[in-house]
Amino acid sequence: MKRNLSVLLSLVVLASILLAACGGGAATEAPAATEAPAVEAPAATEAPVAAEPKSATGAWSQEPDNIVPYYTQMSYAIWIAQLTLVGLAEWDDQGSFVPELAAEIPSAANGGVSADGLTITWKLKEGLKWSDGEALTSADVKFTFDQVMDPANAPLSRTGYDKIASVETPDDLTVVITFSELYPGWQTLFTQGPNNAGSILPAHILAGKTALESDPFIHQPTVASGPFVITDWVAGDHMVLVRNDNFYGSRPILDTVNIKFVPTPETALAALQTGDVDWYPDFSESDIETVNALEPAVHLKVVPGADFEHYFFNLGTTAGVDGKGAADQDGFCPFKDVNVRKAITLGINRQAFVDSLLAGKTTVPVSQWPNSEWENKSLTPATYDPDGAAALLEEAGYALGDDGIRHGDCNGEDTKLSFTFDTTDKQLRVDIALAVQSDLAKIGVEFKPNHSPAGTFFAGYTDGGIMPTGNYDMAGYTTGFYPDPMPGAIDSFSCDTVPNAEKPAGANNYLICDPKLDELMAAGNATADPATRKVAIDELQKYIYDNYYVVMMYARANVYGYVDRFVPGSFGFFSNMNWNAEVWDVK
Amino acid sequence: MWAYIARRSIQALFTLLIITVLCFILTRLSADPLAQYATNPNMSTADKEALRERLGLNQPLPVQYFKWLGLAVQGDLGNSFFSKQPVSLMISQRLPNTLKLMFTYEIITIMVSLVLGIISAVRQYSLLDNVITTFSFIGFSMPIFFIALGAMLIFAVKFKEWGFPYLPTGADIWDQKDPVEYIKHMILPVSCLVIIGTAGYARFIRTSILEVLGQDYVRTARAKGLSNRVVLYKHALRNAALPLVTIIGLDIPGLLGGALVTESVYAWPGMGRLFWEYAQRGDFPVVLGILLIISSAVVIFTIITDVVYTFVDPRIRLS
Repeated sequence: MKRNLSVLLSLVVLASILLAACGGGAATEAPAATEAPAVEAPAATEAPVAAEPKSATGAWSQEPDNIVPYYTQMSYAIWIAQLTLVGLAEWDDQGSFVPELAAEIPSAANGGVSADGLTITWKLKEGLKWSDGEALTSADVKFTFDQVMDPANAPLSRTGYDKIASVETPDDLTVVITFSELYPGWQTLFTQGPNNAGSILPAHILAGKTALESDPFIHQPTVASGPFVITDWVAGDHMVLVRNDNFYGSRPILDTVNIKFVPTPETALAALQTGDVDWYPDFSESDIETVNALEPAVHLKVVPGADFEHYFFNLGTTAGVDGKGAADQDGFCPFKDVNVRKAITLGINRQAFVDSLLAGKTTVPVSQWPNSEWENKSLTPATYDPDGAAALLEEAGYALGDDGIRHGDCNGEDTKLSFTFDTTDKQLRVDIALAVQSDLAKIGVEFKPNHSPAGTFFAGYTDGGIMPTGNYDMAGYTTGFYPDPMPGAIDSFSCDTVPNAEKPAGANNYLICDPKLDELMAAGNATADPATRKVAIDELQKYIYDNYYVVMMYARANVYGYVDRFVPGSFGFFSNMNWNAEVWDVK
Repeated sequence: MWAYIARRSIQALFTLLIITVLCFILTRLSADPLAQYATNPNMSTADKEALRERLGLNQPLPVQYFKWLGLAVQGDLGNSFFSKQPVSLMISQRLPNTLKLMFTYEIITIMVSLVLGIISAVRQYSLLDNVITTFSFIGFSMPIFFIALGAMLIFAVKFKEWGFPYLPTGADIWDQKDPVEYIKHMILPVSCLVIIGTAGYARFIRTSILEVLGQDYVRTARAKGLSNRVVLYKHALRNAALPLVTIIGLDIPGLLGGALVTESVYAWPGMGRLFWEYAQRGDFPVVLGILLIISSAVVIFTIITDVVYTFVDPRIRLS
């Protein structure tokens, strides 16, 4: 028996070695023969020949729900749409609004924007085609509008589209959009952006269909207007895209783009090292040092974006203001005092977190529009000043107690400066919350972090979510108000959106109701003229800044890793690396 | 026996009902399906309200549950809130991958465990037994995440760096219809699962055999002059295998759920990942669909195990 066992074990070891010897696939192994890509499967990359098909493989941490962004808000769906179903315009690497299917951006100067701002006229490029050769015309834009507004379909959002009175198509290249009321964010409609979903849909494929949210097309579009077209999608595993020869722009350099769904960054890191994948766009800020250590085989690219991590105070009042904005609970009493809010802001060494935990690759933002053209450049972030913070708290009547925690009178009650802080359980948030706890302890403030899974932390009012029901003192998460600056801000800060039993879906997690804020936001949304809007939005930023309503922690960074053989295009802070996928190449 | 099976089947239906209620409550309380839109500036308050209504999430929990149950008893597990695809389709896309991975793991684990467990028991307290015991405890104590990433680092990353033949990380694009490729991609995930699984099984088999070897009938068999081999395989092992049948019978339905960590680390498109990805988002039609299938399998396999017992152990009769 002993001998038999030895033989069996030897065979197992031998088989493992033989199978391992078959290993070592190159980065761009051919997709399955049955997956029917339009372009011949690429060969191994060890012997690049100019005439050989070029292929690259990206790893994404999540799989898109579907591909048509009207029916999903998942970033990964929007990324795929950038590659396959583009819009009239997009945002480039500088954050500038540039044409895609459109010939030019409508403006007052070229007659594209009417004097009253209610009519926008888009001109399409000549000779546009879908990947199947059918003409892409203004009729497709009108069809896109019709399907969004059709009650038989269930898009996730009709915001903005519901302000359109009519879409007319006097000829194949002209689209005239008339709004029923001023809609300054018109640039986010029918266009492709990070927070908006404006793919133009093919009328010749989808006309006559209803319930598009369940149509196979939204899971695997059969035609494309972007640089690539999807030819295969193996659920949970990978997606294969091949070049769209009818793409309006320059001919895409890569023949095939593979997207592999890799849920753990550790695997992606290993796959970059072995060359199994060419890029990974989903690293967290806490991975910066790890990826950087792999140079020169793996390159790190950090792009500070327009999203920001912020901490904020529960400013809710059950009374509301002028009968509006009543929250379910009152916020922590001391936070009503601007000096307390200011002291907490000054008492957190935000720059130290950026320098240490974020490897100095991003910045402490000054307002809610970091790295964007809307940012108020005249403001500077408050610097760390623990002595100044302590003095402010003394001035506000909070003296140090025997236990090292300040306490003082707040609305007639002796109140300790001891409060909870809620956020998600992401490791970087845990690390930073611990550092904040240490900083605030130095000024006599007890900061008690609670970490929950995102699904619990962000729960809505009807599910008893901690933010909408006001069951928190301070909280923190990431958000961003772009590409149009106002809709998101108005939804987050106005009296009308404080969540309560009457408005359970309200998005004002700060529970703040300040009529002055409402007034400033209304001013920022009262005109379509960007220059006039900028003045109002600058003033809004200054007001939030002066009142220390939120603690801006750091601008979120997009962290990419890519192998040396892969040549990406430029990286946009709005529009990531996918906005110009046609220039991607491999060495 | 048929009466027994019928009675157990009716009990099973009630068990399943209770399981679905508990799972529904846990899923709905653990994550709000609309939580992911909480900070999305493109989703207005009105959009969110409309979506909540469309998905039926504004209705009382019992109504939501009975609507789901009403469809489920007709064989319709509903559509995912997010992908909008039928849950049955999503499961059918992932289940074959999980079955291939998990059944390979289970078969290898049982085979290796039997060998190690028998050696360990027969040579109790020998050097070999101590080595096997030590490795069993190590395997039992180590988190699968650590083993999986460690194996990937050594056999994929470092082997390539050192110029040895190396195994894939699983993050590559490979032809799933090519059997060689398939086996190659299964080596690391299956090995990791086997290390963990064998540790427990081998200890269990060792204990079971040792217990049987001390029984009177084994002593009698030896007294009759039977060889050690015959005593072990014909008498001891057959009896020691009885509790093993229970363990395997209960393990098999669990295999349908996949291996969350291993599937995630090796980018294996199985049920474990599907469950986790959608549970995090509170997509309860997907979560409940998967749980219902696993629960049903557990209940069915429990009945099957009981029935199989009557064949392998003549002392047991169903009544």
